[in-house]
Amino acid sequence: MYAAWVYKHKPKSLKRVVGNREAIQKFVDWVKSWEKGVPKKRVAFLYGPPGIGKTVTVEALANDFHMELVEKNASDYRTEEAVKRFAGLASQYGSLFGGKRIVLLDELDGLTGTADRGGVRAITEIVKTAQCPVVLIANNAYNPRFSNLRKYCLLIEFKKPPTSEVMKHLNRICLREAIQVDEDALKFIAQRSVGDVRSAVNDLQALTQGKKRITYEDVSWLGYRDRQEKIFTVLKMIIYGKTCVGAKRAVDMADVDIDMLFEWIYENVPAHLTDPHDLARAVDALSIADVYRGRIRSTQNWSFTRYVIDYMTAGVAMARQNTKVHGWIPFKFPGRIRMLSRSKAERAMQLKIGHKIKRKCHISAVRASKEVLPYLRIIFKNNVDMAVGLAKWLDLEPEMIEYVAGTKKKAGAITQLLG
Amino acid sequence: MSFEMWAEKYRPKTLGDMVNQKEIVERLKSFARSRNVPHCIFAGPPGTGKTTAALCLARDLYGDAYRGHIMELNASDARGINVVRETVKTFARVRSIGEIPFKIMVLDEADNMTSDAQQALRRTMERYTETCRFILIANYSGKIIEPIQSRCAPFRFTYLPREEQDRYLRLIAEKEELSLLDEGLDAVFEVCSGDLRRAINNLQAAASLNKPIDAKVIYSIAGRANPADVRKMIETTMNGNFLEARKQLRDMIRKYGVAGSDIIRQIHTEIFRGNLPEQWKIKLADVVGEIDYRLVEGADEEVQLSALLARLVEAGYELGKAK
Repeated sequence: MYAAWVYKHKPKSLKRVVGNREAIQKFVDWVKSWEKGVPKKRVAFLYGPPGIGKTVTVEALANDFHMELVEKNASDYRTEEAVKRFAGLASQYGSLFGGKRIVLLDELDGLTGTADRGGVRAITEIVKTAQCPVVLIANNAYNPRFSNLRKYCLLIEFKKPPTSEVMKHLNRICLREAIQVDEDALKFIAQRSVGDVRSAVNDLQALTQGKKRITYEDVSWLGYRDRQEKIFTVLKMIIYGKTCVGAKRAVDMADVDIDMLFEWIYENVPAHLTDPHDLARAVDALSIADVYRGRIRSTQNWSFTRYVIDYMTAGVAMARQNTKVHGWIPFKFPGRIRMLSRSKAERAMQLKIGHKIKRKCHISAVRASKEVLPYLRIIFKNNVDMAVGLAKWLDLEPEMIEYVAGTKKKAGAITQLLG
Repeated sequence: MSFEMWAEKYRPKTLGDMVNQKEIVERLKSFARSRNVPHCIFAGPPGTGKTTAALCLARDLYGDAYRGHIMELNASDARGINVVRETVKTFARVRSIGEIPFKIMVLDEADNMTSDAQQALRRTMERYTETCRFILIANYSGKIIEPIQSRCAPFRFTYLPREEQDRYLRLIAEKEELSLLDEGLDAVFEVCSGDLRRAINNLQAAASLNKPIDAKVIYSIAGRANPADVRKMIETTMNGNFLEARKQLRDMIRKYGVAGSDIIRQIHTEIFRGNLPEQWKIKLADVVGEIDYRLVEGADEEVQLSALLARLVEAGYELGKAK
């Protein structure tokens, strides 16, 4: 049976919820405080970006604490009347069957426009008189619409969990589904989701359909599977476009942002435009688009975006004067983006060493990691005495020595002499 | 041989020790004598003595206890607006104890500060002028906002001339008891052309090999520090392989941290050195200049330089047709 993994592997207990330990503890403390009578803030307002486990936290808590969860979402309380009907539920702590009750109003962001204003007002009323824990969830608690409501609420912010936490969760799912996913593939999925656990799990499921083993190569391609076809069409419209308007229209079809689209075009233009004049014109157009990006940064004038779009689409399309439309050449995932996610750990290490150098050498850690580190490498490779002296002088830690020396053996010799 | 980074060990301690940037040093000495310093911008390429000049000035002003009167902040490590708001302000507003009523704040790599942070800095500079003078250090003064530039005395540092770089390296070689051959010196200048920090780092890495330092040693060190070299990249473009050339460029920038301005400089040299048709040389020089300017403005190094590479591919193609 096909079941969406987001539901199938939803954390049943707070222990299993990804990240947000602090927020969860705050929430648990508040729920426990109901045991000693109605607390000052009768309502907890959980907020944060989508897919990071706000609803899951409430459900897991209800499960852990054996509480009856009464859950409503936006569509259920659009009007004042609807909310009032629902209000009775919140009027007592104990439920009919003796258990404790917790009321959840989810997707508060869904209340939009004047039509729903009564809804927010009615919720505010419930909130003041609630006799059992009421939980509100929204992406943005600081929406002016909630300004009055907010006063009565314990605000609990949920943040995007770090990649490592997301990876742990994905790993658990892989184990349970008995599939093998390479670590860097898993990392890629986790990073791509930027903290949105729900989308990461969805991606994982989409990627593993029918496979038992997933490698990085599968992911870097298939990671965009759903979007892949779309981005290919978009790239074709741009690189082989015949009119400016046609090429520019491609931007509306692309579901990646302008910078990402730029990377896709920049990556793929050279393989397609084989005529050197065409290529020079196209890369030139991209470089002008980039100049406008710089101007946007320095002036903060975002209306210049239209010129970025002109050059990266129409500019590239018009560059093709000699190259014929040829057979199938695959489009590649932007190399610069891939490089970025792959070498993150390495860059972190370099930066750590950079900070050590910075303390001694009046040079920024970033610059030190690029300008001084390469020379350290050479020294560490060739001259153990000098390496020992420098390691001591810079106060390098063992892992750093190992990184600079390149091999465990070399590092061992250096550390031994360091004593 | 001593076991520190030599670039640090042989950094001049006082303005009197500084061998280069003579006019700048004279002006700074007069600041030290009059015990008054305006806000300054030190602009110029890497390894030309900007940070050193700031530290020397501080030592000449406050004596050996200068550490208590100066703060160094590196904008590329902490370049946000909050740093300016908190760190800088906290330091700037407290009056210095001692004869000189102001402290000195050195903001290194100030061209990496966001424009918001620079705006905030501008107000801080105005407000606490009495208690704190700022020295902003940057590669490109153009990346510093106009209102700050107009409040600062500008100092433009230039690459060290050959003889000054040689003199310095010889001095180090003598102190460290190295055998440094003349052809080794030639090679260092060829590779580092006036960036003294890089020259010294090269020398130290070369010394780690424990053999006489000749041209071969220097080239191999420089080659290993930046394995993909510019000449090879240009050859690749001339052979019409743009994708491979772009990959080499990407590695140079991303993996080995070569500065875009440095790559541009080398391409510029190579273009005039190579055997392109004469008309092409000047045509390409125009492209190089334009790209150089865009980098100063803060454009993306790889994208801009690859536009230049595509032009080179075009040139190579034309050249092949003519033959």
